[in-house]
Amino acid sequence: MTEVQLDLTVNGRRHRLSIPAHYSLLDVLRDELELTGTKTNCLEAECGVCTVVLDGKSVASCTVLAAQCQGRQVATVEGLAEGAALHPLQEAFIEFGAVQCGYCIPGMIMTAKAFLDENPRPTRESVREAIAGTLCRCTGYQKIVDAIMAAAQRLSQQGERA
Amino acid sequence: MNSPFRVIGKSFPRLDARGKVSGKAIYGTDFAMQGMLHGKLVHSTIASGEILSVEIEEALAMPGVYEVVTAADIPAQRYGSFVKDMEVFASKRVNFVGQPVAAVVARTAEEAEAAAKAVRVEYKEQAAVFTTEDAVKADAPLVHPGWQEYKAVPTVKRQGNITNQARLVLGDVDKALKKSDRVFTHRFVTNIVHPGYTEPRAAIAHWADGKQLHVWSNTQLPFEAQATLAEIFKITPSQVRVNVTVIGGGFGGKLRLGVEHYAAAAALKVGRPVKFVSSCEEEMTAALPRQPLVIDLTTGVTKEGKILAKAASILVDTGATSGSGVGVASSVMLMLAGPYKIPNLRLESRSVYTNKTPTGSFRAPAGPQGNFAVESQMDIIADALGIDPLEFRLRNIVREGDLAPNGQKLESVSLEECLLKAADAIGWKDRRPEPGRGKGIACAWWTTTSGSSGVYVKVGPDGQVFLNTGCAEIGTAALTGAAQVLAEALGVELGSIQIVSGDTASTPFDYGAQGSRTAFAVGNACIDAVGKLHQRMKEIAAKQLSAKPEEIEIENGVAKFGDKSLTLKEIAAIAQTSQGGLIAHGTFIAPPTLHDKERTENMVITAINSPSFHAHAVDLSVDAETGEVKIHDYVVVQDVGRAINPTYIEGQIEGGVVQGIGQALSEEIVYENGIVRNPGLTDYKMPTAMDAPNIRSFIVESPSKVGPYGAKGVGEPPVIHPPATIANAIASAVSARIQTLPITAEKIVRTLTEVSETGK
Repeated sequence: MTEVQLDLTVNGRRHRLSIPAHYSLLDVLRDELELTGTKTNCLEAECGVCTVVLDGKSVASCTVLAAQCQGRQVATVEGLAEGAALHPLQEAFIEFGAVQCGYCIPGMIMTAKAFLDENPRPTRESVREAIAGTLCRCTGYQKIVDAIMAAAQRLSQQGERA
Repeated sequence: MNSPFRVIGKSFPRLDARGKVSGKAIYGTDFAMQGMLHGKLVHSTIASGEILSVEIEEALAMPGVYEVVTAADIPAQRYGSFVKDMEVFASKRVNFVGQPVAAVVARTAEEAEAAAKAVRVEYKEQAAVFTTEDAVKADAPLVHPGWQEYKAVPTVKRQGNITNQARLVLGDVDKALKKSDRVFTHRFVTNIVHPGYTEPRAAIAHWADGKQLHVWSNTQLPFEAQATLAEIFKITPSQVRVNVTVIGGGFGGKLRLGVEHYAAAAALKVGRPVKFVSSCEEEMTAALPRQPLVIDLTTGVTKEGKILAKAASILVDTGATSGSGVGVASSVMLMLAGPYKIPNLRLESRSVYTNKTPTGSFRAPAGPQGNFAVESQMDIIADALGIDPLEFRLRNIVREGDLAPNGQKLESVSLEECLLKAADAIGWKDRRPEPGRGKGIACAWWTTTSGSSGVYVKVGPDGQVFLNTGCAEIGTAALTGAAQVLAEALGVELGSIQIVSGDTASTPFDYGAQGSRTAFAVGNACIDAVGKLHQRMKEIAAKQLSAKPEEIEIENGVAKFGDKSLTLKEIAAIAQTSQGGLIAHGTFIAPPTLHDKERTENMVITAINSPSFHAHAVDLSVDAETGEVKIHDYVVVQDVGRAINPTYIEGQIEGGVVQGIGQALSEEIVYENGIVRNPGLTDYKMPTAMDAPNIRSFIVESPSKVGPYGAKGVGEPPVIHPPATIANAIASAVSARIQTLPITAEKIVRTLTEVSETGK
């Protein structure tokens, strides 16, 4: 099996890895780095549970070739909280009852993170459009949209204060 | 309004939320063990035939491969819920495309998958049957030629491909139909849909010493998994320990064994832990989707809109094994009578094998199918009689004290309130606000599944309370609800409760997370435990405070005698040093629902326990040219008995409705000669955030006599009504009455074209 050298930064920590050339970013995160917060399901970029943020953009990590991530920055759900303090998105998801089984939630939150970074004042419709690539079978999406809208407001207030 | 309750009725965040939003919760797919190998299945490529040979040499020689496991490695034994017609790996013949024939165990999942493709299975193909209508014909090929040798529960009446023929009979239907002013007969056909949980089924099995099997999986029912695995491997249940991981959704699809048995068989053969995770394709071709039904429904009415009789012939397609389809064939009759008062009934139902994917118990099994038929027809009849559909329902619904179709006496009946509130919220008076826009309404009842529950409630010396339950948390937050019941009854804060769940070795038995029963049954077991804890507290406090136990009063978790008192924490600390701690075993079993056994023949499900009542209404537009349906407003009014946690009840409603909208408009596993044509999420279309409407939930509280603080089952009902509600609104909007699910844009356009061509 052909191996490639990969220099990848995940949640601020730099990793130098030797991985099979065909590995996806999801394979590297879950199997090599054992960061299982990023979830696995359809492996064809349809369900979105594997979504992470790659250089500021949300991507389905199951269809991103790891070797193409040379020297790049990846953010996963494990890196969102600062110590014991959850990220406002995580807090809002809890507060608004947006979490049921929770399997789609890491992908949802990372999708929302990348979206809000670029769209700090979203509408409900634009939030729905932004998360349309991530399936949730439990919530019907309504409370997820509520949570993202609330987090957007808090994040922009934090931004104004800072 | 001042609530008399401290904890219940309040929307506390679920107790397991933090781990889920931080990526730290360990799901079935995440779980790993030292020394673990990976397994992948070899699937049948034909729908029906004998297995001539299974060639494994080539696969065994491939990189990383340890073993290939086949039926020869399993004690020859069939298992199953009502009829024992399942086997782990096909031994002599296969019955559907996708049926597991063997499994490959390798160092990595990738190597196992590559080697699985190298296992060569030779078949002698035989005639297959793909529809229930063909399968019940006298000369139909048998899906299970050896069906007569299978063990089955005594209730079922089997014949060839038919796994049960059940009836619900009351009065004289023929006479009543003759007396009716109008008689309506329609056929309704429903779709085969997948539960759609986002986490595939996953398990790791490990045999500690060749005799003790330990399984970690995302099963909804650890105790059933334990019993079934014991049956398959011919060991006793106590030789099997099942631990439930965090579960990424179940909806009934994880009630029966998923991949636990493959993992156990493989682990036994290689002597190391083995992990199996279903692929997306396996989920779509060989999981446990909802049974598709064909329902022929006849209803006789007076011109004033009084229902005199209902007759039905129902075919339940269970796929290649009977599974819970036998139960569906029974419960669909209770749904088909509908929550209506009907003096004459003759409902006949058959569960039938076909050479397709085995089906299972998707959320509210039988609910959406039966409701689609009965509630669609209610609207058709109302329109034909020139009576408003809401008014037609109100003239026929059950009310307090009425008898259900099975003869059970109905209590806490809130259906009229639900219907009127739903109609009011959707603006029913303006049913067709503009061309192409219409409103629909539908109502139903549903059961709160019985079965026993046990909990250990243990209080630590720091006042922390452990709720130890054999029930799994599948995502609904029902165990947080049970914890709220416990906190309320024990007089502590919710935050001091920790949940320990789903371990067959250390948690007490529970019938499991199914049938809308978790908060209801586990909550009741908690109340029982609190009664026992209070007694222990009184005994301990009496000694300390020089009183008699009966003189001690317990208030908000504090034991009081005159002006002296001891807190729960103090008592627990004393109990820990003096008598092995403060712990109680609480239990609950729902009382049997009495009904008239004369009315039911061969039915395996005969009652609706602590029934809940509900109505849905929708306002939508249909684009007559594209067939696109746009939902403007969706309203749910649901009687939950007592709302233990309103936010998560809304969560059940919103999620259930969107799942139901999927069944109504877009989802279907499509077969062609027994082969699934859309085995991936690109072509199996579950609603996305763009497809889901905003949903307005209205909670009605008409307390049940049995549930904790009056609660009724909550989880399943919301998925029942969307197909009928939406079908009725579409018919109201554009005069297209679609009687087959899903109601795709294509069907709408085709129907509208036919209507305009025939000039109807």
